[in-house]
Amino acid sequence: MTTKKKTGAGIVITAVVIYLMIPLVFTFLYSLFREWMDILPSSFTLRAYGEIFTDMVFWLSVGRTLIISVVPIGICMTIVLLAMYVIVVYHPEWDKYMKILCTMPYSIQGVILPICVLALYADAPEPFSNRIFMLTSTYCIVVLPYIYQGVRNNLNGMNVKGMLEAAQMLGAGKFYSFFHIIVPNIMNGIVISSMLAMAIVFGDFVVINMLAGNYFPTAQMYVYEIMKKSSQKTCAIIMVLFAVTLLISMFVFLRGADDKKEEKNG
Amino acid sequence: MAYIEFKNVEKYFGSNHVLKGIHMEIEKGQFVTLLGPSGCGKSTLLRCLAGLETIDGGEIYLDGEEITHKEPKDRNIGMVFQHYSLFPNMTVEENIAFGLKLKKMDNAEIKRRVADAIRMVELEGKEKQHPVNLSGGQQQRVALARSIVMEPKVLLLDEPLSAIDAKLRKSLQASIKQITKKLGLTAVFVTHDQDEAMVMSDVIHLFHDGQIEQSGDPVSVYTKPVSSFAAGFIGNYNLLKPEEFELVTGRKREDNREVALRPETFSISHQPIMNEDEYHFEGIVESNSPRGNVLRYTVNINGIPIHIDALFRSRVLFEDGSKVYVSVAEKNCIAL
Amino acid sequence: MRNKAYLLAVIPFVMLAGMFEILPVLATIIKSFLPEGGGVGLTLEHYISIFTKPLYVSAVKNSLLISAASAAIGLVVAFAAGKAACERGGRVKKVFMSILNMVSNFSGVPLAFSFIILFGNAGVITILGQKLGIKLLAEFPLYTTWGLMLTYIYFQIPLATLLLIPAFDSIRKEWREAVSIMGGTDRTFWRKVGIPVLLPSLLGTFSTLFANAISAYATAYALLMNNYSILPIRIAEQFKGDIVQRPEFGSALAVILILIMVFSMTVTQHVAKMTGGTAS
Repeated sequence: MTTKKKTGAGIVITAVVIYLMIPLVFTFLYSLFREWMDILPSSFTLRAYGEIFTDMVFWLSVGRTLIISVVPIGICMTIVLLAMYVIVVYHPEWDKYMKILCTMPYSIQGVILPICVLALYADAPEPFSNRIFMLTSTYCIVVLPYIYQGVRNNLNGMNVKGMLEAAQMLGAGKFYSFFHIIVPNIMNGIVISSMLAMAIVFGDFVVINMLAGNYFPTAQMYVYEIMKKSSQKTCAIIMVLFAVTLLISMFVFLRGADDKKEEKNG
Repeated sequence: MAYIEFKNVEKYFGSNHVLKGIHMEIEKGQFVTLLGPSGCGKSTLLRCLAGLETIDGGEIYLDGEEITHKEPKDRNIGMVFQHYSLFPNMTVEENIAFGLKLKKMDNAEIKRRVADAIRMVELEGKEKQHPVNLSGGQQQRVALARSIVMEPKVLLLDEPLSAIDAKLRKSLQASIKQITKKLGLTAVFVTHDQDEAMVMSDVIHLFHDGQIEQSGDPVSVYTKPVSSFAAGFIGNYNLLKPEEFELVTGRKREDNREVALRPETFSISHQPIMNEDEYHFEGIVESNSPRGNVLRYTVNINGIPIHIDALFRSRVLFEDGSKVYVSVAEKNCIAL
Repeated sequence: MRNKAYLLAVIPFVMLAGMFEILPVLATIIKSFLPEGGGVGLTLEHYISIFTKPLYVSAVKNSLLISAASAAIGLVVAFAAGKAACERGGRVKKVFMSILNMVSNFSGVPLAFSFIILFGNAGVITILGQKLGIKLLAEFPLYTTWGLMLTYIYFQIPLATLLLIPAFDSIRKEWREAVSIMGGTDRTFWRKVGIPVLLPSLLGTFSTLFANAISAYATAYALLMNNYSILPIRIAEQFKGDIVQRPEFGSALAVILILIMVFSMTVTQHVAKMTGGTAS
């Protein structure tokens, strides 16, 4: 490869990185300075961070976000694994239907799914009209494609049939074999896809805003409310939430890298 | 009643009739091999015995008890698979202890049995390793230990050596044979490799197209094929149609049957051979190829190529294109 | 083998998918044909008014335009970036991919707000533009199609690049060498081999980006509230918000959006198949 070409590639990458980093960097700087009326900001302060960290409303909203990004994923993962048990052990031919159902949320992403759910269940009897119930179930569908893909890819990567048969020959039942042999072996994939799903729910605004914004104000709703009041504080919250998301995805990335390393050794 | 009995076992995969009324008896302590080309039904029969496949007709008995409809986990049968099927998240020790733990055996007993099994398959020192860090041969030893530690009524081996390279295969063959004899285990072994079958077995059942083509001890299966399929699959028989036989030997066969001739039963010489009760003919050497300690000549006799094996001592005795005299005993011409 | 108790294990999945995926979508489709205010019978009136009232015609138009344009621009940038990343390879590529991964988490309300502090009336870049006398920066029309487009392109680029890098990785060095041995230039390689090989991935990525943009709600809502007409905003306000709620009409709008998504996915899948590959 010529150096000229390498330089060209370097320029392209640098330009894209700069474009992508500008909003992030400026948001960060903005959260640290009281005034920005000239080319350079002035009056460095951590006041905005101090304020949000002492604001009970903020902590409550973060707590809600954590609950709502953990519970539906736990439920969805359990449901997918149970269904996968039947498909892997008894009816492999059903996988195509499961795949369709699990990839369909892609084509009803964004605003569509929450309004469909809202339209159907808003006037339905309890517990369906319960907003938290609606929210939880809708998030289960939102993360379904990621959970399914994660589980499926990991199952495809190993000799599931052989291991199930071996476990049975050693005296284990089918259910026991699936949940004590297969599931522990795809644990890494389960954790990674759960974290990925968690990052998605963590950053969601549309579903929460449509279904339960007032009943269950999450961190994203909090950002939206503060936005109207204080720019500096908003930037600080955005940075805090972004840092959390980053931690989650860094975790995913590192686990994924570990996974690959192990495969290489094997 | 035999230790294991298959009675009229039928199996279909869709419209594909894979087991056509199999009858088979296996005695306790025997090492039995199901031999045949891929797709002949041998593995399916093994899996039916294991309970991993259900059967569509017939009955299976083990140790005087009908097991036809029992779940695999309730059959007390051990099985070793072609691709090892070890549990990658567990160490060697944990893999071997898995079945015993399910039986709720007490820990000291489990420990003792696992240690015994590990010693038997010669994997001392590997107890704490994970399967990924072992060679194929070692993994299969773990799989073997995992099965025998359960003291199964019968040990099934489904092409356990075909994924292992040639050198390790020999030593594993010896280990399997030695361990089953030592423990007095009844073993059913599936392979498509006739040499392996000959080395390992007390009894061979040759499978063809969902049926048993021939059964017997290795010597009789090798020397007395009952059909052209058996002759074609085992040994390297020359198979001659009646008219070809006539072209080669100059004799017409009254019974009009096909004839099988093993390559090592021929005599080959530069001089004419004259022996009692033998067919004599001459031909031209077309080619030769060394196969270990045997040299295989292809000799053209009246347009029919015949394979003839001679012991490979030091050099090629019959050059390509040279004229040779060949003879074969009448008793070695096996009518099929 | 008569025991079918294991089937109990699929029930939760069937119930979840049935009740919160299939049923809501079906109900929405049916509802879109019902007259407003709970009358009896079926009607096409909602669909007719969507395609006759300027407010909704422009919503459909704007949505299609912004989604297609942002997807196309995102794809072009991603093509250059993906190609560059694979040409550099090694550490640079790894770091670049981590940055893309990181930035792809920056979307929705935070993204919109970030653009407001950059390009808004008192935005940092606006001020910078004023001080330096750069008119384009000083008067960047954030609260219009252009502003929305800029934010959409921002979230399309990392996604598109991450989707394309594996495709670039699959282009083998030998193909390039083969072309150059036969006397072809770099340009010939891309025209005759590179782009055709990448085409299924490019189409698949375009479809993903398009679907991603046309259903996006948070960014537009935070940036422009209800002051700009795109489909997701118009749909949402039929169910929630200040104006009179019209769920039947909203359902019809949602059906249009679903149809657009399904159409774009099927078309790209077909084209990808015809060009010999599967859209990723």
